[in-house]
Amino acid sequence: MTLTQILKMLVACILVITFVLVTASAYRQHRTISALAELTDATSAIVTQLAVDELAHVDETGNKYSYVLDPNMLENLTFRREIGGENFEFQISLGYQVSENNIFGPALPENRTNCSLVVACLLWLNDRFQLAKLGVIAWHA
Amino acid sequence: MNQMGVADILAMAFMFALLILGAVLMHTYSLRPLRAATDRQLELKCEHIYKALETAWVEPYTISFLRAAAENLVLEHPTVPGQYLRSAMENALGYLSPQDYEISATLTHDGGTLIFNENIGPPSKQFVRSGAVTITGAGGENVVVQVVVRLFSFS
Repeated sequence: MTLTQILKMLVACILVITFVLVTASAYRQHRTISALAELTDATSAIVTQLAVDELAHVDETGNKYSYVLDPNMLENLTFRREIGGENFEFQISLGYQVSENNIFGPALPENRTNCSLVVACLLWLNDRFQLAKLGVIAWHA
Repeated sequence: MNQMGVADILAMAFMFALLILGAVLMHTYSLRPLRAATDRQLELKCEHIYKALETAWVEPYTISFLRAAAENLVLEHPTVPGQYLRSAMENALGYLSPQDYEISATLTHDGGTLIFNENIGPPSKQFVRSGAVTITGAGGENVVVQVVVRLFSFS
């Protein structure tokens, strides 16, 4: 075997190893990104469920007001959801223009990836529709 | 023999270049689902901002921000005075705006335009929610005012 042949073989081996490493790295990144996208979409789904249905204000005649939240509904709320076959837990923060944010639900776990989403909403307070913000931080249960 | 060696080296260099290009493309492509999910969240935020402005009342009146703005555009004597509305609306938009984002609201009717928070620099991305507000005109007729709420991203 000449020196040239040995060098060519070496370069070919490096090429194959690089290809395997790059493919493995891309696959690992794809899985991480997919998990993050899934968590992001789950957080959006939880916010929508809360704002449109579960925390929505219901008046005396039984009419439900989507996007208008009733803080009293938080008493019976469970802070766990199954979305797309996966279980998620979440924490809620609720605040309006002249108040500090109030936190509801379990404490954030350490060393666990989470996703937070804060959206505009309304509160029915003192017989008025008040601007407020609903925040949700979700993580895999 | 020398010519063969050069051809092999060129082929290998080409394969390396192809490998690096493929790796860059794979990594770039794999970020797309996360970007799409983030964009969906921003669209959701924009929807919530529109609904909040459509429903929340201007203090101390009992009329929503968008309805008050539509009245200012159409009626000679609106419920909420123009200057007061502008200040209240800009406060509301400032409160609702996420960090590193800006919100603007534009109402148009019959050639007239009313814009809130218009002095915004060129954004990197924008999310739009359009709708309409119907109010009763001075002559008792229904007037439809087009509303566009934009969420601008600068990140």
